[in-house]
Amino acid sequence: MAIGVKKVDRPEVGASYLRATLKGMALTFKHLVRPVTVAQQYPEEKYELAPRMRGTHRMAVHEDGRAKCVACGLCPTICPANCIKLIPAEDENGERYAAVYEIDEFRCIFCGYCQEVCPVEAIHLGVHYEAAEYSRERFVYDLERLCAQDHPFTQLWDPEDPASE
Amino acid sequence: MDSESKLINLTIDGTEVSVPEGTTILKAAERLGIVIPRYCWHPGLSAPAQCRMCLVEVEGWPKPQPACVQQVQDGMVVNTDCVEARKARRGVIEFLLLNHPLDCPICDAAGQCMLQDYAHETGQLRRRAVEAKVVLGRDHVTPEIVYFADRCILCTRCVRFMDEIAQEPVLQVINRGHKGYIDTMTDELFEHPFSMNIVDVCPVGALVNEDFLFKARSWDLDQTASICPGCSQGCNVALGTKENRVVRLKPRFNPEVNSYWMCDHGRREVVRWGAGMRAEVPLVREAERLVPADWARALDATVEALRGVEGGAKAIVDPGASNESLYIVRRLMDQVGFDGGSFRVSSGPQQVLKGFPKLALREDRAANASGAEALGYGRVDDIYGAVRSHRGVLFVLEEGLDDAPEDFADGSALFVYIGSVLSPAARKADIVLPSPSFAEMDGTFTNFEGRVQRFTQGLRPPGLARPIWMSGSVVLARLGGGEPFTSAAAAFAALAEEFTAFSGLSYEKIGLTGAVSAAAESGATAS
Repeated sequence: MAIGVKKVDRPEVGASYLRATLKGMALTFKHLVRPVTVAQQYPEEKYELAPRMRGTHRMAVHEDGRAKCVACGLCPTICPANCIKLIPAEDENGERYAAVYEIDEFRCIFCGYCQEVCPVEAIHLGVHYEAAEYSRERFVYDLERLCAQDHPFTQLWDPEDPASE
Repeated sequence: MDSESKLINLTIDGTEVSVPEGTTILKAAERLGIVIPRYCWHPGLSAPAQCRMCLVEVEGWPKPQPACVQQVQDGMVVNTDCVEARKARRGVIEFLLLNHPLDCPICDAAGQCMLQDYAHETGQLRRRAVEAKVVLGRDHVTPEIVYFADRCILCTRCVRFMDEIAQEPVLQVINRGHKGYIDTMTDELFEHPFSMNIVDVCPVGALVNEDFLFKARSWDLDQTASICPGCSQGCNVALGTKENRVVRLKPRFNPEVNSYWMCDHGRREVVRWGAGMRAEVPLVREAERLVPADWARALDATVEALRGVEGGAKAIVDPGASNESLYIVRRLMDQVGFDGGSFRVSSGPQQVLKGFPKLALREDRAANASGAEALGYGRVDDIYGAVRSHRGVLFVLEEGLDDAPEDFADGSALFVYIGSVLSPAARKADIVLPSPSFAEMDGTFTNFEGRVQRFTQGLRPPGLARPIWMSGSVVLARLGGGEPFTSAAAAFAALAEEFTAFSGLSYEKIGLTGAVSAAAESGATAS
């Protein structure tokens, strides 16, 4: 046999399985009296996530609730997945703001470039992974939703040493 | 270049170059491909040497010299990138950035800003000043131009444009030092038909056009070489397009036509482009109703209709149509008997740019009236009167027909509408052949002095719209007029053979700066 088939010795007909069964039952019994707690009771218990975990986005807001975004257009420019849609406009004070700001979380590859490039530290990735929804449309996060997210911001760098010096 | 002027030999950055006497170091360096940083120097304006950005080291000279005004001397050894020159530049940038708000993220000039470029290139990493920045705010200088005083570096390019080129010295530097800003001497805003050029000359984002403010980032724009369709001057422009829309027009340098400038009228026209109900599919009249058809059927119907028709052909054309489109319609008319074509031109007062009198906003507010005339169409006031009693074929090319009387085409045996906009009057046509609008195709315009200039496609046309040189030449071929054209260049080549005003010209010869045909030129000198 050129391809080297391994021949397995099957137990003969009539051989006893008793010994193997008892061995297995013994292990079961051991776990019954002294359980090993490796299983996590998700969703009651949640993982402790690393501060650098890169999950769904969150927009930082000013104290009055306005998004910090100044609509500079750097995040849609740098986004490798092309998942950010931004339409800038002028507000009543003559300031530039994002009239439309949408992130398609399906397209997003969670690289964190948007957070890194943001000059005003507005858009952030979040330490968050439970993004399930009932419809596909809900995965396009608009500005209102991004501002309403309340999970912690991802830390792409050490806040003690932002320039890695 | 004057052949008699003496040549000067000098060395710039280790390379020897000879330039005519009187050349500045900056110009001499440009010959070697060395771009010396500059703010206040603009090729179309005088050189005040006040920004001090172009300081270069001249070996043996005690102090760095401003390259934009320092003339070359024999045996000069210039270093543009040595320690001393870089130090001088870094110092200048540090001063310029003292009160600069560094608001690049929201500044329209970001990405095309010379301050940004040079600060990255030679500036310091950190600000040393500890004082608070002076905040001056922003204001309008004209109804359409916003001035951000904080971003201004007081290079006075705008001031000099108004002084030297517009020759209406309304702008001034008010105050001095860190309190300095640009303004008019009165509280009133100024208005000038060429005012928006101050936005173009501004090397930073201090002067911005309100129409464009916050619309797009400069790196998002695709640039297309084109011709401004606003008047018969035919200024060379670059279309800035984004998401299949033209958002900005910038003048493109052409010393023969518009230098570095263009008028405000042309820029304002941008927003009007592509407005109205667009013709997207060919329409053919069947049993009193216009029904959508594919091109094969529409062309079949056109050929069929043109074969049997009698009574000659008349046309109403738009003087904004390209030479190629006008030519194809002319050829179609010749097939059934040319009986005259007419066009009307909207007009306005002529406004000459005093500092560059070749350039003016012309009376004819259409790009190609000369081309239409050269191709045998006549300028009339009442375009409908000429066709009212017509019994043959009526072609309408691009003309909007906004004010057409109800019955203007009722008498004609066949009404073919070729255009980009479908007005109610155009819906009376028997056949509608949709064509792209000006920015959506290649073509040429002939400007007021007979200069033929090319424009290129910057946008995708909607739906099934096809340029008439493409669809019309298929009809022509089937009516026995030779092969269909495969490009606008081929259509132009055929046109150049047939009409003397274009003889000797081709797309290659015209290039992106335009050309005057030999016939037109000799005619102009004779008259």
